[in-house]
Amino acid sequence: MTRAVVTGNQAAGHALVAAGEANRSARGCCGGCYPITPQTEIIEHVMGASFSKGSFVAVESEHSAMAVCIGASFAGARSFTASSSNGLLYMTENVFAAGFERLPIVMVVANRTVGPPWNIWADHGDSLALRDAPWLQLYCDSHQDLVDTILLAFRVAEDPRVLLPVMVTQDGFLLSHTSMVVDLPPQDLVDAYLPPLDLALRARTDRPRTYGQLMGPRETQRHREEIQAAMERVPEVLDEAGAEFARVFGRRPRGAFEAEHTADAETVLIASGTTVSTLRRVVEERRAAGEKIGLVQLKLFRPFLREELARAIGAARRVAVLDRDHSPGSGGIMWNEIATSLRERPDVLLQGYIVGLGGGEVDPPLIELVLDDFAGRERAEAPVFFPREVT
Amino acid sequence: MTTSLPEPDAESRPRLLRPDSTNCPGCGMSLGLQWLDEALGAATPTLVVPACCAAVTPGAFPASAFGVPTVETTFASSAAVATGIARVRTLNEEADPTICWAGDGGTYDIGLATLSAAAERNEDVLYICYDNEIYGNTGGQRSGATQRGAKTTTTPRGKAETKKDIMAIMAAHRVPYAATLSLAHREDFLRKMRLAFGMPGFRFLLMLSPCPAGWKSEPAESVELVRLAVACGLFPVYEVFDGERYRVNARPDGTPLDDYLGRQGRFRAVAPALDDLRAQVERDWARLDGLARAFPATEPAG
Amino acid sequence: MIKITIFGRGGRGGVTLAKLIAAAYFLRGKYVQAFGRYGAERAGAPVQAFVRVDDEEIAEHYAIREPDHVIVLDAGLIAPQTAEGMDPQGWIVLNTPLPPDAFADIFPGRNVATLDASAIAVDCGLGTRALPIVNTALLGAAAEILGLSLADAEAAMAHLGLGEPNLTAAHTAYDSVRQALLPGTIVPVAPGRPPARTASIFDDDIGGPPAVHTGSWASRLPASASLTPLCSDACPAGNDVRGFVQAFARRDYEAALNTILLTSPFPGTCGRVCPAPCMQACTRGQHDEAVNSRELERDIASRASWPEPTRPSRPERLAVIGSGPAGLSAAYQLARLGYPVTVFEADDELGGLLRTGIPAYRLPREVIDGEIAFILAHGVQVRRGHRVSGAELVELRRDYDGVVVATGLQEQRAMDLGASGPRVLRALDFLDVSRTRPPDLHGRRVVVAGGGNTAIDAARVALRLGARDALVVYRRTRAEMPAIAEEVEEALAEGVRIEQLAAPLRIEGDGDGTALVCRRMTLGEPDESGRARPVPIDGDDALATFRCDTVLLALGQAPDDHLLPAGSLPAEEEFLPGAEDAPACTAGDLVTPEGTVAAAIGSGRRAAGLLHTALGGVEEPSLPAPLVDTSKLVFRDVPRVAMTRGRLLEPRTRRTSFVEVRQGLSDRPGRETAQQEAERCFSCGACTACGECVVYCPEGILTHVGNTDCDVDEDYCKGCGLCAAQCPRSALAMLPT
Repeated sequence: MTRAVVTGNQAAGHALVAAGEANRSARGCCGGCYPITPQTEIIEHVMGASFSKGSFVAVESEHSAMAVCIGASFAGARSFTASSSNGLLYMTENVFAAGFERLPIVMVVANRTVGPPWNIWADHGDSLALRDAPWLQLYCDSHQDLVDTILLAFRVAEDPRVLLPVMVTQDGFLLSHTSMVVDLPPQDLVDAYLPPLDLALRARTDRPRTYGQLMGPRETQRHREEIQAAMERVPEVLDEAGAEFARVFGRRPRGAFEAEHTADAETVLIASGTTVSTLRRVVEERRAAGEKIGLVQLKLFRPFLREELARAIGAARRVAVLDRDHSPGSGGIMWNEIATSLRERPDVLLQGYIVGLGGGEVDPPLIELVLDDFAGRERAEAPVFFPREVT
Repeated sequence: MTTSLPEPDAESRPRLLRPDSTNCPGCGMSLGLQWLDEALGAATPTLVVPACCAAVTPGAFPASAFGVPTVETTFASSAAVATGIARVRTLNEEADPTICWAGDGGTYDIGLATLSAAAERNEDVLYICYDNEIYGNTGGQRSGATQRGAKTTTTPRGKAETKKDIMAIMAAHRVPYAATLSLAHREDFLRKMRLAFGMPGFRFLLMLSPCPAGWKSEPAESVELVRLAVACGLFPVYEVFDGERYRVNARPDGTPLDDYLGRQGRFRAVAPALDDLRAQVERDWARLDGLARAFPATEPAG
Repeated sequence: MIKITIFGRGGRGGVTLAKLIAAAYFLRGKYVQAFGRYGAERAGAPVQAFVRVDDEEIAEHYAIREPDHVIVLDAGLIAPQTAEGMDPQGWIVLNTPLPPDAFADIFPGRNVATLDASAIAVDCGLGTRALPIVNTALLGAAAEILGLSLADAEAAMAHLGLGEPNLTAAHTAYDSVRQALLPGTIVPVAPGRPPARTASIFDDDIGGPPAVHTGSWASRLPASASLTPLCSDACPAGNDVRGFVQAFARRDYEAALNTILLTSPFPGTCGRVCPAPCMQACTRGQHDEAVNSRELERDIASRASWPEPTRPSRPERLAVIGSGPAGLSAAYQLARLGYPVTVFEADDELGGLLRTGIPAYRLPREVIDGEIAFILAHGVQVRRGHRVSGAELVELRRDYDGVVVATGLQEQRAMDLGASGPRVLRALDFLDVSRTRPPDLHGRRVVVAGGGNTAIDAARVALRLGARDALVVYRRTRAEMPAIAEEVEEALAEGVRIEQLAAPLRIEGDGDGTALVCRRMTLGEPDESGRARPVPIDGDDALATFRCDTVLLALGQAPDDHLLPAGSLPAEEEFLPGAEDAPACTAGDLVTPEGTVAAAIGSGRRAAGLLHTALGGVEEPSLPAPLVDTSKLVFRDVPRVAMTRGRLLEPRTRRTSFVEVRQGLSDRPGRETAQQEAERCFSCGACTACGECVVYCPEGILTHVGNTDCDVDEDYCKGCGLCAAQCPRSALAMLPT
């Protein structure tokens, strides 16, 4: 391992390039790259890399970036890119297409608010807007988590039991532009961890097939059932990938959830991204003060593992979800989905909080305010913006 | 003595466009695919087809009327998806051509940025636009490729604007080769295809593709219509090398525009635009002739 | 609720029909629903449309499975499955020219209504002949069946903005739809089973060919046509000119010869002496120059191996009087049909004018001898030197089972020039004597009166016999001369002179010799021959005098009445009177106005056919194929290549001998002008396997079997017609399925 002080973007770029290089003995790597704040340095790193067998294309839009990835993946290469915010939404139809075509593309999303009005700071609304696309979504809370998850992502995506693309997210600026210490995986270990890609479905000149052609209702339904079945196999595949990761890199990566101090917790806080890091500090302090409080890092958002999350929450009767996103007319998106985990638990008071929207600063004082509000609640109500700007 | 398209044997590849496609009778695109097949010989292309009539040609999954590997893409994406495929083929030293087969919508309009970028990057892609001068797949709305004066479902009183000059746009990108293809000039058609196959870099071919359904014309007249379009000057047949050197392959012969327009229901109300069309044809030919004289192609005519 | 299912094809108005029916009910205050079930909606693909009608709001949003009524827009879609799920009392309405009971096997026990909506639509100009729009006609029929009124139908059409001719179509249909309850018991239709397993993208057998069978979309299919080309149409002998030229182009010389021999036993002869109306009619003449069919025919005669002659096999014995081209042609055809034939010829030699009237430098002896020998080898007997009188004709009609009279025009027209004797001869007599006992004309000046081939030949022979001058005097201009233009050219090259617009008046003599005085003529209005009438110019200064020693008259021929009573000449294709005797008919110059060898040959052949049918023979019906429409031929891109003419001997050589002037086209390797010439033939109206149709088929389903005969895969042909449209020689037609 190479210990370095780098930004999240640099770390992500390193991991992606290593993964691409690891396919040099097979059909190589290829993808389309387009800049957007706050991920630009990732694609600059990829465009500047010297691959033994790789070719990346500086395209004219994100829509084309994902299109190039689709083409490259159909041709059997390992394919990846990065985007954020409006760029991600600009490529939306191709994001859906990539998933429906069962192509194992990996995309790093530096989460950023969607506009206009323009806002360059961290917000999970961009990747969550695409939650209905057939992609895995993994939310990272640190540089190391980001690097590890990127490698896990390729391994899971390319597994024949899965064959779906994967989004790996990092909070914009908070991780992407922040320099932190991280272990960067050396090439030989990445080579050992990521076997060469042999995509069974790829376009081959000796086998005429028409990919993406007209598909009737019955075939489409079967197709979607197969995607759902693949999603249901993800937890098992992710576990295996994590175990193999530990074996190769000597370090256990984060799993679908990281539950901390939930065994005896009466209150559980759930969040994704860097909010979780801040929550850890607060939870540590409060536990030191005797409070039975725990937290769950919701890392794997798609597939959404309802039962597993319910188990992770344990016996706690008060659950607060901190969403760095908001679905107008509904509330926090994660809160919405987590509610389905607790449908068998009418005894749980589940309250949603909108925290850090549009890049708002999430610091311990803010968390304290949230917890104070939560502590005073007897009943749950609609998700609450924190801090409230409209009174 | 038999004359027929070569039948596939065990060694060679299946037909590119198999019988039983759901294309309309007399479809220019079908004929173009047959000649593409012929020009390819034994080579197996990967076709990249965006949303357009050709996306429906193969029919519904799991059977397909395309006998070569085909990737169907979103509307604007064909040149970009082709880029990905072509790059990986190059990485793996595979010579099989990557060919975009796109309608005018995905080329002139929604796909223009993608086309422009792939051309500007000089990707190893052969891009063929079959131009039926409408959004055919959705029932015949106007596109940037629609002729002035043509009636479409979104220009019921006749399109006011001139047809976009996509060849000039491609020439402006300095692509190694851009050429128009005429279904009424078969030898020239095949020659240009074969020439394009043999070149590296981004090649652009534009084929006028009669659409009996959209043009309200007789299916049996599809080839004659192309001949008339060329003869009256509305569809110039020419080549441009590196965006700089020009060669005209077929000249208009004084056939009146009416001979071409009059056979199509879409031009029933073209009369108000006729003078403008004539003037436009003259101007366009003056410019093309000027370019061909001033910057003649030195490449052999083949 | 009323539920109606409509079976149609994409782009042909099925959904509109649903909307029309819905509109009719809507305007009557009902709740309605109309929609189509869309798939790959290409023009021609099967498409369903549905109509629901109810007194209450309609909430159903799925396809109708149990219709009350069914309407089928396209006869190709009619099948037992059409009635699947139908109410037993409901109506099946079919677009077909057939009556309802024609469907008793398919829809037993059901109420079936039929009308020819396609014909109504075509009559009203709705859609095209290939794709008529039948929906408004079917609206009329549906209204009748459903108990709506015509007013309801009209209101529906107005609601959708449809005016005439749709109203007429609906009216006509309303009045003409035929209805019947078909006998038998309703057979329940097993519903089509859904596929056992839905395909997955992970299956191994993805991407195979479709099974749509687009051939069912076609309302017409291509079929090879073989139209009559202008050349064959123009040939008085009825030769298949295109046939032998194309066979030559394929280097199948035997096939070429056999093609000619079907209609004429004189290829070598005609290939030398025929004026070749085929060449005048030749389509290629509109492009550059005609194909040199004449010299190709001549070439075939010498190049190909002649077939074995047949022998007589029938009992009936037939007689032919006259061994000119007409008589010999008749004899040949009758012999080929198996009849033993006896030819009566007044002369000692056979051939008639072929031998006596055409000089050897145009038609060598060995050519005629060879072709006559071939005819005789079919078992034809000959009586030479046997002139048949009128009385003998009567006997022959008792001794033989049939007679052909082909004695030609024995009279040569003459005129009184005020002198006679050796100085004034009939040109045909002169030609005849020139070959048996040629006179020495050294030093003589010869004037020939006339403008046909006989006149030209007489002048050329005169030069060959030593005349110092040969002048042809003709009362019209060269443009009107009936002589073959090439013969005139050759004559001029040999030194023959032509004086136009001069008509002989009298011979004058003075101390220096004789001269022919002629009146100058001018051209007036056309006469019955279509040529400008020669009009004499009055006055003594409108005379021209030509010194001459000999005058040859080539003024045409006329029938004599030594055999048939004057005024009794029957027309061609008619029999001589005397039904109790064996049938007798005429042929040749006696009955054909053209006076050419080819016309005589054709006449003789037709006479033979007439006799054959009179004797109970069955002629193969040969309906002549329609004539090629030359406006449909496309040769604009063919390079222009002039006709190649055969080599000619030098005029100086020709002038002194009777060796054949024309040497024919060449077959030397590297200079195969005959082959080149044959390849100039367009083959108008007949396939040459050029492959244009094959490469212009958008479906790629056309092949050629053998040499011709386009073969289309009917499973996939959509009937677009591009193949027929692109055929440059109009050899493919689109015929209704």
